[in-house]
Amino acid sequence: MKAAQAGDTGAYARLLADVALRMRRLVRRRAPWLSPEDVEDLVQDILLSLHQARATWDPARPFLPWMVAIARARVADNARRYAKRAAIALEVSALAETFCDIPTNNTAEAVVNLMSVRTAMRDLTPAEKQAVELLRLREMSLNEAAEASGSTVAALKVAMHRAMRKMKARLRKD
Amino acid sequence: MTEGGKDTQGTDALIARLAQQARPQRPLPHPAHRAMAWALVALTFGAAMVWAIGPRPDMAERLADARFLLEQGAALATGIAAAIAALSLTIPGASPLLRLLPAVPGALWLGTLSVGCLRDWWQLGAEGLRITPDPACFVYIALIGSLPWLVLYLMLRRGVPLAPRLTIALAALAAAGLGNFALRFFHTQDAALMVLLWQVGAVALLAALAGLAGRRLLYWPTRTV
Repeated sequence: MKAAQAGDTGAYARLLADVALRMRRLVRRRAPWLSPEDVEDLVQDILLSLHQARATWDPARPFLPWMVAIARARVADNARRYAKRAAIALEVSALAETFCDIPTNNTAEAVVNLMSVRTAMRDLTPAEKQAVELLRLREMSLNEAAEASGSTVAALKVAMHRAMRKMKARLRKD
Repeated sequence: MTEGGKDTQGTDALIARLAQQARPQRPLPHPAHRAMAWALVALTFGAAMVWAIGPRPDMAERLADARFLLEQGAALATGIAAAIAALSLTIPGASPLLRLLPAVPGALWLGTLSVGCLRDWWQLGAEGLRITPDPACFVYIALIGSLPWLVLYLMLRRGVPLAPRLTIALAALAAAGLGNFALRFFHTQDAALMVLLWQVGAVALLAALAGLAGRRLLYWPTRTV
């Protein structure tokens, strides 16, 4: 990075390629549900941000924390946009607050929680997923949800209870 | 260097373009040094405004008053500390302690004014705590803080928007804090409760309003390179 700040284009290209490689792995690990195109979009956003921010790196300080701070902010920003695109941003954030016992102290952590909730929902049966979707995401009443799903209030209550227990167990395990 | 595949071709092309654009770049100075340069500009503008409006008639007396000096010192320190905090928030990996910097002088500022309220009440009774409308404070603070805020905003744009709302709110706190510092050199309002309500209140309100616009003012670059 020091060479890049001095205008060494070769060193800068190597640095960016290395950062891209690491970020691609990180993003795939953290957000396995993203399509390859979305992963590359995010990696490119990180590279572009790093490029724009290169004057903010102080050669007297380590490079890694600087780069990680940019990457975390970009991942959080991208997750926000991703969630918005899926039109469930608010609902899923509320879910993250509902299911995660760990208090969040910044956006990046909130995003990690959000991602964890989405992962945790995979363990649910179709009936349990439907209960979470209708009662939590769409905020329907039990009667409305029962009518929409063709189920009964009692069955929805049981499904929701089981879904909550499974998701909490999964989040604690993670 | 990157993992092969169609998906990464765009990224490889971006890397090539960014590397081509890489020019020698001088690292930004420490946020404290930048804040000092900003404070110089802000204080010069504040002094010009005091001179243009006309300093208060009892200036010499005020400058010998320890309470006035303490309140003014705390306001000045809060403004400068808020500028350091705002600038540090745009530097990835900067110490998180820097963002808490305004808390100490800010507490001193509120503390001295709160003690002032008690003293006014003790010495003057209910009259010492009388509240009268003084909306001019808000206008003057906003006016004197406008140029310093703009300068600080341009300085912040050289960093990255890690926490845009907090950054912009702190920048407004810095500018309005120095605006309030200058205001008291021409505005003859020294009753602690009035200063707390109309002046510190105006500073807090401006910071909160600016913070709401944070995401619109500081944002990540779009992919147009």
